[in-house]
Parts: sequence; structure tokens; C-alpha cells
Amino acid sequence: MQSRLKFLGVIVLLIGLIVLHLFAGSTNVTIDDFYQSLVNFEPSNTTHIIARDLRIPRLLITLIAGGGLAIAGILMQTLFRNPLAEPHILGVSSGASLFVALSIMSGWFVFQTDYGIIASALLGAFAFGIILLSIAKFVRLQSSLLLVGIMIGSFSAAFISILQTWSEANQLKAYTLWSMGSLQQVSLNQIPVITILFLLVVGLSFFLVKSLNAIVLGSANAAALGVQLKHVRMLIILISSTLTGLITAFCGPIAFIGMAVPNLVKLIFKTQDHKTLLLGSLFIGAIFLLICDIVVQLLAQHLLVPINAITAIIGAPFIIYIILKRWS
Amino acid sequence: MITFNQVIIGHEKPLFEVKLNQLESGKVYALIGSNGSGKSTFIQTLFNEIVPVKGEIYLNQKELKLYSKRELALNLAFVPARFPEVEFMKVKDFIGLGRTPYLNAFGTKTEKDLEIIEHFIQLLDIQHLADKFTTELSDGERQLCAIAKALTQETPIILLDEPTAFLDYKNKQRIIDILEQLANELNLLILFSTHDLSSIAKQTIQKIGIEANTQSNEILPKMLPINEQFPFDNLLDKFYK
Repeated sequence: MQSRLKFLGVIVLLIGLIVLHLFAGSTNVTIDDFYQSLVNFEPSNTTHIIARDLRIPRLLITLIAGGGLAIAGILMQTLFRNPLAEPHILGVSSGASLFVALSIMSGWFVFQTDYGIIASALLGAFAFGIILLSIAKFVRLQSSLLLVGIMIGSFSAAFISILQTWSEANQLKAYTLWSMGSLQQVSLNQIPVITILFLLVVGLSFFLVKSLNAIVLGSANAAALGVQLKHVRMLIILISSTLTGLITAFCGPIAFIGMAVPNLVKLIFKTQDHKTLLLGSLFIGAIFLLICDIVVQLLAQHLLVPINAITAIIGAPFIIYIILKRWS
Repeated sequence: MITFNQVIIGHEKPLFEVKLNQLESGKVYALIGSNGSGKSTFIQTLFNEIVPVKGEIYLNQKELKLYSKRELALNLAFVPARFPEVEFMKVKDFIGLGRTPYLNAFGTKTEKDLEIIEHFIQLLDIQHLADKFTTELSDGERQLCAIAKALTQETPIILLDEPTAFLDYKNKQRIIDILEQLANELNLLILFSTHDLSSIAKQTIQKIGIEANTQSNEILPKMLPINEQFPFDNLLDKFYK
């Protein structure tokens, strides 16, 4: 019951922030404008364009990126039994970045289309996820795995910088803009593909609830409870790297959500039941990124700040708090 | 019931030869042997995690290696030596994880699951712990919860890896008494590894030892039933280097 009440609060907050986010931009757009832009779109009306082609895609990608990265985070934290695990620090998103850099700078047109970039990001994230999983088998100490992730990150960064020195000016600019992270790159016609893929993998993650609950106790316990560890591990990597790759492709690498949100969810709901943790991460991840993006929009009138800077400014102190609370 | 047919236990290299015929329901078996003798390997072998070097193991007349993971989880429950350190886990949720093999993918517990969990919480008399977090428990309380979790799995066999290792003398006795009582009342086969020779002195506990191989490297140590009287000063040399 208590957790239902908390969920109610979370949903109310989410709805409030969605409304705030829709109206946060510098141009004044009314509810009626949103409604009219959807049912009766006029290409010559600037307000309609702002409402339908800018505000709505930005809202949806913010919800998807926030919720998706938090889900990827909780999955990896449970898989590796490490509260600091997440796609960014473990190098999975650096895999996506490396492959995106390769495809942008390859000079081949096929790889420079939207789908080329999405495919590269998914492939890169999944490949690096598999590499990480195979290294994790030999790593006993929790902190070592994080160091492995950081090394994977540096390794890709090195390759990316080499690629950058070779690339032409326009490619370099395209990559640099992408890598700063942005929630404004998505257009309305890309939203359906992103949403379907997102709902598919997030839905799939709920089929792992029972196994995730058992994995929390460690692999020996989980195996004795009949959990098919090999399959579950692969599925977790598949889901979290798909989410990471998808979101990284469209928004660039966004840090800290995957790490901060699941820890916050555990603090709020005080449970290890993954039905609650997954749902909580989905909602609170969206809330976290909505808040960050509202801040970006409010600041935009005075100065332009990339979304990555805000997630780090809010996220990093919280993670330090988690570390202090846990290991000191 | 578990039966052995000329089994050699080992992981990559052979460790010891099993000279037992069978392990029976309704009995408590204490497994002794020095560190590294292969007690944990033996338990892992019964869980199909490790394949025996030679021979066949049968679980209820069916060869062990033919069991699927889930079938195995319906027959064998495991209590590891170390209680998992997990934050924000309520005792009743922890115990409820024993129901895992019976739940759907979403982990939804039915009325029946909840009744079974409640039943074993009462059987072990730990109602007062049910709403605490597992991190708030003492080592003795943790061991009771781990046993309760194994019981909710409703398996005919429970294997425990050094269940008394972190307990004081009184709690050691208490856990072993409870295991005996459970084996009797629920007709379970319970096997646990231990180094606490004094705690297992009772006649009613079946003892099994893995020899310490001191004479020669050519001959494999044997896993034997111990029939001699306790305390077994003379056996210390045989089973501990």
C-alpha cells in the first residue's frame, strides 16, 4: 500500500513536470495551440511548428531517454551486483559513441543516414556490452569492474580522437554536436520508430522480474532457484545496450541518469522487488531528465547549456552522497 | 533419495572417490573434511554446476544430468555459507524468494505462495523478524531466515554449505537441532558441510568424511560414511591433515 501511495506521488509529479516542460520554452504556446497543431496543422503558422515539430518530440524523447537510461542502469546494477554500474561508466555508451563516430566519419552515405547512425549505435553498444560481460566473469572485486569500464571508455575515446584528426570539418562538426548531447535533434517522424523499439525492450525487461529478484542474491543462489543465468545475462545486456544505443544515437551520450536514478529509486521505495524498481526507474528517470531539460530551457534565454552539463551538475553530487553513505 | 554409482568428484582434476551408496530422506548428513578437500565441489556437483569426473549420480532413480535447471530447483534447495549482503530487502521478501521456481516471469506471488511463506515463518518462529531488513539481523537470525527460504522452496532435499560457520556455540546447536527436527517432521534429506565436530557428535546425525590424502598422490582420497564413536580423536588424522 505504502509503495502504491509513493507511486501515486511520482505519477502526479511526472504529469506536473510534463505540463511544465511543454510550456517551458521561450515562445508562448497555449494549450489550444498544441491541440490545433495536432488536429489542424498549418505549415505557415510558426506557433504550430514550435508546438508540433519541436516541443512534442522534445518532450517524448526526454521521457524515453530519462526512463530508458534509468532502466538500463538498474538492469546493469543488478546484473553486476554493483550500485555504481551503468552503461556510461561501464563503457557501453562509449561503444555506441565509437561506432557512431566511425559511421559519421566513414564518408559512406549509408552510414550517415538516421538509420545508419541508429544501427551503428545499437551495434556498438551491444558489442561493448558483450565484451564487458565476458570480462566480468573473471572480475571478483566490485571496483575492478568499474575500472575495466573506465578503461574501455578511454580506449574508445582514444580511437575517436584519432578519427577526429582524420575527419573533414563538416564531419567533425556533426560528431562534436552529437557528442555534446541534445534533446532537440529528434524530429517528429523519427518518434514512432524510437517509441516502438523503446516500449518493446522496456516491456521485455518486465519479463525478467523474477530472475532479477533472484540474481540480487548472487549467482549461486539464483542458479539454485532455477534461474537460467546464461540466458538472463544475455537478455539483460541486450535490453540495456539497445536502450543505451537507441538513446545515445538520438541524444548523444547522457551521463549520470543510469547511475543516480536507480539508487534514488531504492532509497525511496526501500525494496529489492524489481517490478517496483523497474517501474520506479522508468518514472523517476523521466522526471530527472524532465527537470534537467526544464532547467536547460529556462537558462536558454540567457545562455546555452548542453543537457549533459545539467545531468552531471545534479547527478554527480548525488552519486558522491551514495558512495559516502555506502563505503565510509 | 540420491544414489551414487562409482562416482569420482572433481573439477578438471579428480578430487575424491565417493564410497557411499545412497543418501536417504528423513536423515541429516554432516559432511566433514579439511579445507580444499572438495566439500563445496561435492555440493556444486549435486547442483549440476560441475559434472563428475566419472560415474553417475541418480536423483530419485533419474540421472542427475538429465534434470533441467527448474526441475532441479524443485528437488534441491541450497543455503550458501555467506548470507547475501543486500540492502533494502525485507526478511519476508527474502524468504519469499524460495518460491522463485513456482512463479511466473513477472514474479507474481499467489495467495498460496504467501500462505506457504507465512507457514514456514511460523514454523521457525521468526514472525518478529518478518518486517525487518535482512541487514538488521544477527548471524543466527540470518541463518534461520536462509533455512526458511530453503523450506519455502518445498524441495525434498536441502543442502547447506557450512551453516554453522559464523555462529556462537548455542546458535550452532540450535541450528543443528532445527535441521534434525525438520528432517524428521518433513521427511527431508538434509546434508550440510561443517568443521564443528563437537556439534555433530549426536548419534542421530549421519557423518560423512572426505579423507585427507596423506600417504600417496597415486590413490584418490575417499568419501566415506563414518561409523565410529565421537569424539573421534583417531579420525582427526584421517580426515584432517
